[in-house]
Amino acid sequence: MTVTPAATLADLDRARDIALDLSGWGRRFSFYQPRNFAFWGYLLLVGMGFLGFVSTLARKYDAYGDAIGLAVTSFAIYAALFWWFTQHIDHYAKLPAKLMVVAFVWGGFAATGAMAANANDAILALYAKTFGQVWALNWGAGLAAPFTEEWAKGSGLLLLIAMAPRQVRTAFDGFILGAFIGLGFQIIEDVSYAMTSAGTQFGANQIGASIGTIILRMVSGVAAHILYSAIFGAGLVYLLGRPAEPRKVGRGLLLVAIPMLLHGTWDSVGAIAGPSVLKLIGLLIGAIVVALAILVQVYKATVKRERDFVRDVMAPEEARDVITPAELNAMAGNRKARKAYRKAARKGHERKRARYVLNAAYALGDELAAARGADTDRVRFARAEVARIRAGVPSPW
Amino acid sequence: MPDPQTDMASAAAQPRFEPDERFVPADERWFGLDRRTIRPTLAVFALAILMSVVLPVIDATVPYHDIVTAGDVLQLEGNVTFVPEAGWGITSGLRAGHAPLSGEYPATATVEDGAMKFTVRTGQFHGDARQLLDQIETTSEALNRGRGVRVTGAPTTVVTEQGKLGASARVTGPHTAGVIAAFVFGTRGVEAVATGPSDAGSQSTATVLRMIDSISQTGEGKR
Repeated sequence: MTVTPAATLADLDRARDIALDLSGWGRRFSFYQPRNFAFWGYLLLVGMGFLGFVSTLARKYDAYGDAIGLAVTSFAIYAALFWWFTQHIDHYAKLPAKLMVVAFVWGGFAATGAMAANANDAILALYAKTFGQVWALNWGAGLAAPFTEEWAKGSGLLLLIAMAPRQVRTAFDGFILGAFIGLGFQIIEDVSYAMTSAGTQFGANQIGASIGTIILRMVSGVAAHILYSAIFGAGLVYLLGRPAEPRKVGRGLLLVAIPMLLHGTWDSVGAIAGPSVLKLIGLLIGAIVVALAILVQVYKATVKRERDFVRDVMAPEEARDVITPAELNAMAGNRKARKAYRKAARKGHERKRARYVLNAAYALGDELAAARGADTDRVRFARAEVARIRAGVPSPW
Repeated sequence: MPDPQTDMASAAAQPRFEPDERFVPADERWFGLDRRTIRPTLAVFALAILMSVVLPVIDATVPYHDIVTAGDVLQLEGNVTFVPEAGWGITSGLRAGHAPLSGEYPATATVEDGAMKFTVRTGQFHGDARQLLDQIETTSEALNRGRGVRVTGAPTTVVTEQGKLGASARVTGPHTAGVIAAFVFGTRGVEAVATGPSDAGSQSTATVLRMIDSISQTGEGKR
């Protein structure tokens, strides 16, 4: 909801209420929902995938323990870095962390072991039977994985919407949850690839055999499953429509098709490049650049609504002089706006303080959202923190 | 900006009531379940069944016929080749001269004839044939944990038609018997495993030995 310049405080409070209702910002997510059919569906498919993965890991651990240890450690750090990065880019109406974990687990266990892996094997075998082994090696992966893996991951978002209809409200929510589903898928797939690599030298030199795969998967991973699922997730929300995101079928279909196309291209790069290594490297870099460029555009297109929510939620605080107009603009703006706000301070310590004020203001936003806009003790404390930091008073806590 | 005349009182002191996250409206219940969650879940189940049941069943029902004809040579990664027996079926692997567009042949090839199965696998290895055989035994013991096919016989030396010395041993499993052979061409290790019914005749054994004897590496790979 956009508020006119002459809006009264009551109008601003009303706009805040509407924004909080629409966005779902600050609402708690409860995983255990026995009356929700999606909860049972999620448990069943994740459970199947988890058991399959753990039994594979246990079966291969004695033979490839070194490589498994290295892969699990490396990808755990990778996942932690990604988690930090997502928190870094998502300043706005944040989703509950529990929901992101649920998304990650779906991608890691249900989408892989319970769905896509079985379908991939069958489709590749059918391609080989129908078109021959050479054709299947050239184009099989590129014409199987985009359909099986993208939909296996994307179907998780469908369940998450059913499990958290009050929280998943915008295309940006789909974007973020999709990214976490993709991250889970990526990590488990990478561990599986590392196990396969560990066996390529008959079980000898496991670290040497798998380290190349681990590094390559880490480098290319950013422009792979995480990215595909983020775009797909946004597309799925546009396709379905949500209370805060009107249905846009054309845009939704486009955003569902794009990651499938990117995925298919990525998996076919070896065949497209032929035996030329230079061509292969060029195509890989090109595919990554194009994919990242598309990702940035989708991010920009989807995040706008979230920024509007932040503005609507924080506008009454600006009207009550808790934050300044410049701080409101920085909070509801992009990275450049926040940077410009910080740079406006002349001295180094003032810039640092400006950053702290902004962080405290975001914390106030989260408290307001959790309190559904009410004036609770926690909200008042968060307001006091903004004022304390602005005044340069040391924290008593 | 707000109207200066507006009351500056802050918002409500108590959050507006929202029902519990698990609340299901009475008119949305179906046998205790939230009916709004049934359709999306069934859609996901349908997709899961398609992927995990329907597609594998279709694959299992579609026969595969790629029969070896006289003169066929199968090629693997690292320019390793072998001559499969005419009449056997190729279940994985490529014929020499039919490389994929990337130019890289796969690391494994398998041919089958009824219950008889012959698989050749290749990969980097630093050591000799006997060490490779030991490594294969160690890895398969760790993977199988005493179950499945195991190396049981004492290692013996085999020589291919190309004159390459290798190591081989007997393998046995539940109702299965066979032979495993290992060769090392420079830093390229090759493992050949043939398995079949325990009561397979001498003709099958001779066929397998012919295929093992045909294992070689072409000039490019040696460089």
